[in-house]
Amino acid sequence: MSERDVDKPAFEMRQVSKVYPGTIAVDKVDFDVFPGEVHALIGENGAGKTTLMSIISGSFDDYTGDIFINGNKVSLRSPAQAKKNGIEMIYQDLSLALPISVAENVLVGRLPRKGIFIDKEKMVSETFDNLSKVGLEHIDPMIPIEDISQHEAQLVEIAKAMGNNPSILVMDEPTSALSQEEVERLFDIIDSLRKMGLAIVYISHHLPEIFKIADRVTVLRDGHRIDTKKINDVTQEELVQMMVGKSVTEFYRHDIFSGEKVRLKVEKLTRYGFFHDVSFHACEGEILGIGGLSGAGRSELARVLVALDKRDKGRIVLDGKEIKSRNMAQALDEGFAYLSENRKTEGLATRLSIRDNILSALVPRLSKNGVYDKEKGDPVLMKLIEELSIYPPDPNREVSNLSGGNQQKVLMAKWIAVEPKVLILDEPTRGVDIGAKVIIHNAIEALAKEGRTIILISSDLPELVSLSHRVMIMRQGHFIKEMQKAECTEESVLLAANGEGV
Amino acid sequence: MSELEQKKTDLRSVSQTWFSKKLNVAGIYGIVALFILLGIFLQLLGVINNFMTTSNMLNIVDAVSMLGIVALGLAFVTYSGHFADLSIPTTMALTGIVAVQMLQFGFFAAIVSAFIVGTIIGLINAFAIGKLKVNPVIWTLALNYMTLGVIRVIWANKQIYPDMIASSERAVELFDNIYRLRFFNKIAFPMIMLIVLFFLFHFVMSKSKFGIQLKITGAAKKSAEYSGINVERVIGAAFVISALTATLGGLTITSLSRVGAWYNGAGYDFKAVTAIVIGGMTLAGGRGSIIGVLGGVLVIGLMNNLMTLLGVGTFSQDMIRGIIFIIVVGINAKTLRTMGRDDA
Amino acid sequence: MMHNKIINKKLLSLGDRYRIYVLLVLVFAVMTLFAPHFFNAWNLTSIMKTVAMNGTVAIGFTIILIVGQLDLSIGTIITFAAVIGLGLKEAVGYGVSVPLAIIAGGLIGLINGLLVAKVKINSFIVTLGMLTALQGAIYTITGGNTIAVTDDQAFAISDWLQHQIVPTLTPRVVIAIVLVISFSVFLRRTRTGRNFFMVGGNSKTAWLAGVDSDKYTIVAFVISGVMAAIGGILFAMESAAATLNLGTNSLMYVLSATIIGGTSMAGGKGGVFRSFIAVLTLTTLYNGIVLLGLGNEVQIFISGVILASVIFYEAFVEYRHDKIVGQRTELLKELEIVR
Repeated sequence: MSERDVDKPAFEMRQVSKVYPGTIAVDKVDFDVFPGEVHALIGENGAGKTTLMSIISGSFDDYTGDIFINGNKVSLRSPAQAKKNGIEMIYQDLSLALPISVAENVLVGRLPRKGIFIDKEKMVSETFDNLSKVGLEHIDPMIPIEDISQHEAQLVEIAKAMGNNPSILVMDEPTSALSQEEVERLFDIIDSLRKMGLAIVYISHHLPEIFKIADRVTVLRDGHRIDTKKINDVTQEELVQMMVGKSVTEFYRHDIFSGEKVRLKVEKLTRYGFFHDVSFHACEGEILGIGGLSGAGRSELARVLVALDKRDKGRIVLDGKEIKSRNMAQALDEGFAYLSENRKTEGLATRLSIRDNILSALVPRLSKNGVYDKEKGDPVLMKLIEELSIYPPDPNREVSNLSGGNQQKVLMAKWIAVEPKVLILDEPTRGVDIGAKVIIHNAIEALAKEGRTIILISSDLPELVSLSHRVMIMRQGHFIKEMQKAECTEESVLLAANGEGV
Repeated sequence: MSELEQKKTDLRSVSQTWFSKKLNVAGIYGIVALFILLGIFLQLLGVINNFMTTSNMLNIVDAVSMLGIVALGLAFVTYSGHFADLSIPTTMALTGIVAVQMLQFGFFAAIVSAFIVGTIIGLINAFAIGKLKVNPVIWTLALNYMTLGVIRVIWANKQIYPDMIASSERAVELFDNIYRLRFFNKIAFPMIMLIVLFFLFHFVMSKSKFGIQLKITGAAKKSAEYSGINVERVIGAAFVISALTATLGGLTITSLSRVGAWYNGAGYDFKAVTAIVIGGMTLAGGRGSIIGVLGGVLVIGLMNNLMTLLGVGTFSQDMIRGIIFIIVVGINAKTLRTMGRDDA
Repeated sequence: MMHNKIINKKLLSLGDRYRIYVLLVLVFAVMTLFAPHFFNAWNLTSIMKTVAMNGTVAIGFTIILIVGQLDLSIGTIITFAAVIGLGLKEAVGYGVSVPLAIIAGGLIGLINGLLVAKVKINSFIVTLGMLTALQGAIYTITGGNTIAVTDDQAFAISDWLQHQIVPTLTPRVVIAIVLVISFSVFLRRTRTGRNFFMVGGNSKTAWLAGVDSDKYTIVAFVISGVMAAIGGILFAMESAAATLNLGTNSLMYVLSATIIGGTSMAGGKGGVFRSFIAVLTLTTLYNGIVLLGLGNEVQIFISGVILASVIFYEAFVEYRHDKIVGQRTELLKELEIVR
């Protein structure tokens, strides 16, 4: 500790602010990170983490305040300036160019040259070196990004940032698309980078991760810095309290599900190469959780259930009737609904109003003889806006102008509005703040109480464990375990999802 | 915060209220009013004559009614987020030629077969773009060439004339009247078609189930698919509508020129897109209205009329039209951006 | 079996990449065998002359597609440049008028580029507006008449442009080939060249890497304007006349060739050399069709069919890609064991 007092911080910001039209996203924040340190940055959605990170990356030319690197005042007003100062970013939403080769993505901006021409041999070998650091030796550097999988792409993103030999590395939720093994490997890499003297800023929602990897932690709330603590001096509960601003008691629920009227029966459902021979049943009023790592085939299963993809084999029986829908419209008529995980591209039409979005799946039902009755949807629309406290409660507001949490509530409202028999929720609270999360959770429980069957796909373990009446574990395309409420804990689910203790 | 920024904030927080929607539409009619005022002003100055007369006003609408018919249908394609249907020119030519050829079996056979051909072209586009999801611009361009090839292979570069083919004088007269029929000696039949289509399409785009689904599809295709909207069918329908109005346009232009030829309809694709875009419909899809498109058509009509009255040559008119087009669209894009809608 | 699949995939992607060369050989062979008077110096020279103009224009158009934009105005730029270059000849001579014509092309491209990159108007609209405006300008300037130059110097230059440096290669062809090769090497082998692909592939990635997307977009439009102007003016100088329909067919010609050559409308993918080969292929095909005694109409029809087939093929590739992307290989192996 004493040596750190002598050391200068590798990166320091003093009284930095950034104003968006209408809001102050970051308000006079101090933040520093020392060489050889992992400094975690946490906060709810909208707390200003992303804005702060964008400032570090040089994405804004209009921030105020001072930034120092190794004690020297610098100006970070373009990504190029940030790069020049040894800052590298790892983004959550991938910043790779899909039609371009892996090699060019990894080495973007610094392709090796021989004279004025690019040195292809060196390009391939350098890429290979970088890829092998993150365990991607098997990937051909010359194939385009669009031909590799999502989680491989996430690792390429990391390889790309590290390949620039940064002195300051900023990571935004780097584990969101990774499996457990890959997370472990990433943490090993971070650890070795720390030993090499890199200064690392680690942004995450995931508190257990932070306790595993960080040295210090800074909490942001509403654009202000609340506090900075050494990780050993603070508990998870204290951090949550700082993030939320008030003490929250974890909302574990213990009601045992007692219904037994089977609503949905799935037998040997298969889509080749994605999931094989999946069988399960779900009752009226039951919340059936599906746990597993990303890439286990959970979303693919959901897509087949609502006929967005074709099944290769198997039966789906709803209320005793075999379902053979050929597209989502038919599945919707049969009583299925699917809240997909990617709200911006698959869920919402962000350029349209709250009204258009909430009623979008209801259009056929609100129409008679091909004529759409605009007024007919109003009662349900206003009711849902109120029930889910969508803010602002103005149905004509364009969705792109809402906060992430409110966008997610709009998406939830859209699927509640269709009154499905079976509602499949795929990461219903990903990336939303705690307030919105509680509202969405309450809505899910209310739907189950009404007798609807909920299939809950979630990587948020507390959410999965506390909401579900029963949890099925999916791993590498198979259902490997069924767990009743009593045996469900975050630990047991995580172990099972990783293939242990089965 | 500077005053400017303050202003931006206020605009951004404006919701899509009744008022702001009307304002958007008003924008294009503001330009219409501006051109009319300009015309009156020039007439008062004595630079031009006969601008503010009933017959000139009717002339203006009459001159653009064919373009208007085509643009109103094409607007559905633009609204669906698929830019434009560049197969319109040869659709117009082919349906016209087929109609003339079929006049040998009478007027109704001619009309029906033109619409059958138009529907087939629309369905081909619907299949390729809706179902196979190919790029609409290059696909319709390719189809335009194939259709052109078909016309020129079958009719071997010959032009065909209604009066040489038709079964009877009566059929020729009926066909000629598609363009020439006048109500009360003043109001032309194409103008009637334009007005009817305007009300019909306005209703379809803003009030029908299909229109609402088309809007969602245009604004966010994938989300629409996930909402249970049959996007393939919705997009396909937009292209069929476009082909059908192109057929109406084709019949009218062939009736006007009294000759079926491969070059009938040339340029109508781009002219119609110009009207649509001036009318405030963005290529990003899901935004704009039929009212706006009609406004765009009227602006073009007024512009042409004023330039002609001023004695500007046809070719210079093209040039000025192109420049005004870019300016209007540029202003539109800027306004949308300051309002926080970066989708022009 | 799995192994075979991987090899098949590789072969397919190689096939995608080199399909245009295969197509060229095929067309050439068929025409040599069946079209009368196809394989002789005179005919091959005439093919190369057509290729010279559209091949040059295709350079710019390919770069435009690589950065993810569209330029509908190339056809009118061709004519416009020809009109300027020949129209001003009498007044100032080729020494001034030709550079002026090329600069005019560049300026038009600059305006297009600024409107697209800075004012952020969709390039489809910008270049459509430009097309209309230029069309008008051309007819206003010329009054609708072909511009012909008839002095001795003009004829001398015209003759020189028609002489064959080596059999089938006239100066214009050589210029086109030099330009194609230079741009091809520039795009493929230099950092600046690769940046064009990055801008079209993902402009955010480019921006984060310190690549100014706006600048590259503008430069792409300028190159497109300049290439169209060079193609147009050289053609007009060779024929000592600027007809007003000079560039009319070029948009469709060049667009077809670029797409057939494997450049993607979505941006980030493509190559100048392949576009050039595609222009050569199409030209050979059209030439052969005429020699086979079939008319211009068949040529139009076939060009539509070829473009349509390529579009369908690409849709199929996309469909296949979507279907298998994300498949777990270990699950597929499981299937084989069961069988």
